[in-house]
Amino acid sequence: MVQLRPRASRVPASATVDEGQPASEEEEEAGHGLLLGQPSSGAAAEPLEEDDEEGGDELDDEAPEELTFASAQAEAREEERRVRESVRRDKTLLKEKRKRREELFIEQKKRKLLPDNILEKLTTAGQTNIKKSSGKLKEANLQKENEDCDKGSDSKKAKVQKVQSVGQNKSYLALRLKDQDLRDSRQQAAKAFIQNSLYGPGTNRTTVNKFLSLENKRLPVKKAAAQFLNNAWGTQKKQNAKRFKRRWMVRKMKTSKK
Amino acid sequence: MGEFKVHRVRFFNYVPSGIRCVAYNNQSNRLAVSRTDGTVEIYNLSANYFQEKFFPGHESRATEALCWAKGQRLFSAGLNGEIIEYDLQALNIKYAVDAFGGPIWSMAVSPCGSQLLVGCEDGSVKLFQITPDKIQFERNFDRQKSRILSLSWHPSGTHIAAGSIDYISVFAVKSGSAVHKMLVDRQYMGVSKRKCIIWGVAFLSDGTIISVDSAGKVQFWDSATGTLVKNHLIANADVQSIAVSDQEDSFVVGTAEGTVFHFQLVSVTSNSSEKQWVRTKPFQHHTHDVRAVAHSPTALISGGTDTHLVIRPLMEKVEVKNYDAALRKITFPHRRLISCSKKRHLLLFQFAHHLELWRLGSTVATGKNGDTLPLSKDADHLLHLKTKGPENIICSCISPCGSWIAYSTTSRFFLYRLNYEHDNISLQRVSKMPAFLRSALQILFSEDSTKLFVASNQGSLHTIRLLEGSFKHLHTFQPQSGTVESMCLLAVSPDGNWLAASGTSAGVHVYNIKHLKLHCTVPAYNFPVTALAIAPNTNNLVIAHSDQQVFEYSIPDKQYTEWSRTIQKQGFHYLWLQRDTPITHISFHPKRPMHILLHDAYMFCIIDKSLPLPNDKTLLYNPLPPTNESDVIRRRTAHAFKISKIYKPLLFMDLLDERTLVAVERPLDDIIAQLPPPIKKKKFGT
Repeated sequence: MVQLRPRASRVPASATVDEGQPASEEEEEAGHGLLLGQPSSGAAAEPLEEDDEEGGDELDDEAPEELTFASAQAEAREEERRVRESVRRDKTLLKEKRKRREELFIEQKKRKLLPDNILEKLTTAGQTNIKKSSGKLKEANLQKENEDCDKGSDSKKAKVQKVQSVGQNKSYLALRLKDQDLRDSRQQAAKAFIQNSLYGPGTNRTTVNKFLSLENKRLPVKKAAAQFLNNAWGTQKKQNAKRFKRRWMVRKMKTSKK
Repeated sequence: MGEFKVHRVRFFNYVPSGIRCVAYNNQSNRLAVSRTDGTVEIYNLSANYFQEKFFPGHESRATEALCWAKGQRLFSAGLNGEIIEYDLQALNIKYAVDAFGGPIWSMAVSPCGSQLLVGCEDGSVKLFQITPDKIQFERNFDRQKSRILSLSWHPSGTHIAAGSIDYISVFAVKSGSAVHKMLVDRQYMGVSKRKCIIWGVAFLSDGTIISVDSAGKVQFWDSATGTLVKNHLIANADVQSIAVSDQEDSFVVGTAEGTVFHFQLVSVTSNSSEKQWVRTKPFQHHTHDVRAVAHSPTALISGGTDTHLVIRPLMEKVEVKNYDAALRKITFPHRRLISCSKKRHLLLFQFAHHLELWRLGSTVATGKNGDTLPLSKDADHLLHLKTKGPENIICSCISPCGSWIAYSTTSRFFLYRLNYEHDNISLQRVSKMPAFLRSALQILFSEDSTKLFVASNQGSLHTIRLLEGSFKHLHTFQPQSGTVESMCLLAVSPDGNWLAASGTSAGVHVYNIKHLKLHCTVPAYNFPVTALAIAPNTNNLVIAHSDQQVFEYSIPDKQYTEWSRTIQKQGFHYLWLQRDTPITHISFHPKRPMHILLHDAYMFCIIDKSLPLPNDKTLLYNPLPPTNESDVIRRRTAHAFKISKIYKPLLFMDLLDERTLVAVERPLDDIIAQLPPPIKKKKFGT
């Protein structure tokens, strides 16, 4: 860290106080200097700040204090040590946090997996990479499976390469969820491409209202736009108003009856 | 005709999905159209452009390419990476094959019809072999850097042009390697930051490649040398589709501004043999992007985001210049999406993924002809029923008493019981529906709401008896003679004895419900049936066909009625036969057996069988004059067809009771207001 000589306008009493103080003030100065980009400009800006803070007492010329090299060096080393300590502490804290999160994830993953006996059955059935599909697919494929089992046909529009019935009941279809996610992301990317190329920036699109109102603008007697009224404006307000009116009417009826 | 109070309904928020791909099949003159929600519809262009078949959509199936292969096989490919073959007989999906290349952007069938080429997201072009019952992966071509958005075969089958982003590659089929790579300018005479997307390519037999891209250019390339021959700038926005005719003397392109341009090969001077491509005709029939075009021998077909399907016959190709050569615009569905419960004044609207149940408003005021009566009670949105799962709803129905709602998707059938207690309704689902009911094409309840008839796409008709909270399967009518023929339309007689079912090719079958057997079959007619209904008391079956013919068949007598024979002998009025849209619903008046009420999208008509029939010279559309004209004139011009065009476009019209009609309209502006944004058009003075 650059050691800056303390300024003439500084309060002399502060220099004789703790070792810590000048160091912190120096830091502050250095901080200011760094903020302003150059030490010189920091120095130039300093007097203004000092003036605002401390009034006009310190304009007397005074000799700058003598600080030995050793003390300054000691301060600097102290500083570095402190910084190193804090960094080390931060690192350990982060490490702890990461470890805890890892453990949490492992817990969750374990909870998500099927109980061991079913996993065993799946692997012994001769099929790798099978996980239970989502509920919807199960239901839809349930009927399909039953039907096909009845008919005894092999061809199906199945998303999975092989269809394997697990266990005796032949009641569900197994899919690999990872493939499905990959496919979905690619489909999303493709849809985004089409959307971008047709309706994205750079395309010369306009709203339907403006498009339909083009004729109205050129008529000899100019008419209003095609969708002049915005019926969707303030729907919540209108609903609230309607409800309030109904309740007020009921109250009015009750009081008038009495 | 009588006086009616008409419930004019405009709260059916029906928005069709945009058209994404169009494929024309020359042998059978049929058009396959795929929409953005995954529905694929088949139009029979020779049967008055009637939609005869459809495959319901699916949320994950975003089709990007559609093509016909040899032997009437239909294939589609989409962003979910699968190639799907459709079974046109059984109206379901035969199988889906994953291409393992990511989302598929384009597909082309080889000229011989036995190979299929697919362009994928990862830049690979894959070749499949079409076997009699499946398709099989053959090999990959050289992988390119960016996604392959368009493909085209050379008519000899030796080379392929593939359009990608900023370049076009030419492959040799035998080796699978890229022969040429042609870089496309990003802008006509200029530079641009936006990449140039080649939306369509076409390969002609003389080696010319035509490409259309997102900068609005149509470019002609020479595939032998890999160089640009001619460059046309035709639009300020993307040119999104191209289709070449079979003779290769004309092609059509569609732009994002809604304009369709026709290019033709004309000789340079009148007697020279040298020809060049000239842009001949612009057509502006669309307001939004035209994403698909097709070229049949006599017409240009275009479809896009504004959901219209426009068929423009070319005047020079049409032999007989009659009404057949007029522009056809198909906007409204050719099936009924609305069912009505007459007793409780309820309407059930069918959307792609949900159903809405509305109760009609009521009024106590009276007025004269033409008055609008104020509502004392507004129409009420009673129920919003969302379907589970990604599939679209195929058909739905509400029972006449209003206590049962049934709808079907491809994999499931749903039946709900409704209970009404003072203005509130509660819904209860009937669980464990049998598996054979799924994928129903048509659902109908009997008049007394005790029986449910379901027509499945396998050709069989199921009868279910409805009990309180449960059901019992009564009987299944199997299809005749082993052919699988899907039953599209059903009609039941009000006394509950007869059930009529029409298939796609054979005649209309009439079944006796009490004895559970086939009673008779109306002789087959070469145009498909668009609407069926059985009259009360007389049990006459009224059938409307897509060529606007209406037949009346007496079920107890097993023959056509006298009136039907008379009108067939005389023929319908020529204006009646020139109507564009098919009749979608027929109903009857309970007290007047001589009246038939039918409607199509732009008119509704009451046929009075007791009045004389019009011949070609009389005025077909003669509304009642407001002031009392002389009676003599009125008697002279009165004829059987009372047509009214007050309510249009009509999606549904029915008789609720003796003095009330309900008309569900869908103004075109309301549909357009909900479409995606169009390209900006700059007009002088705005």
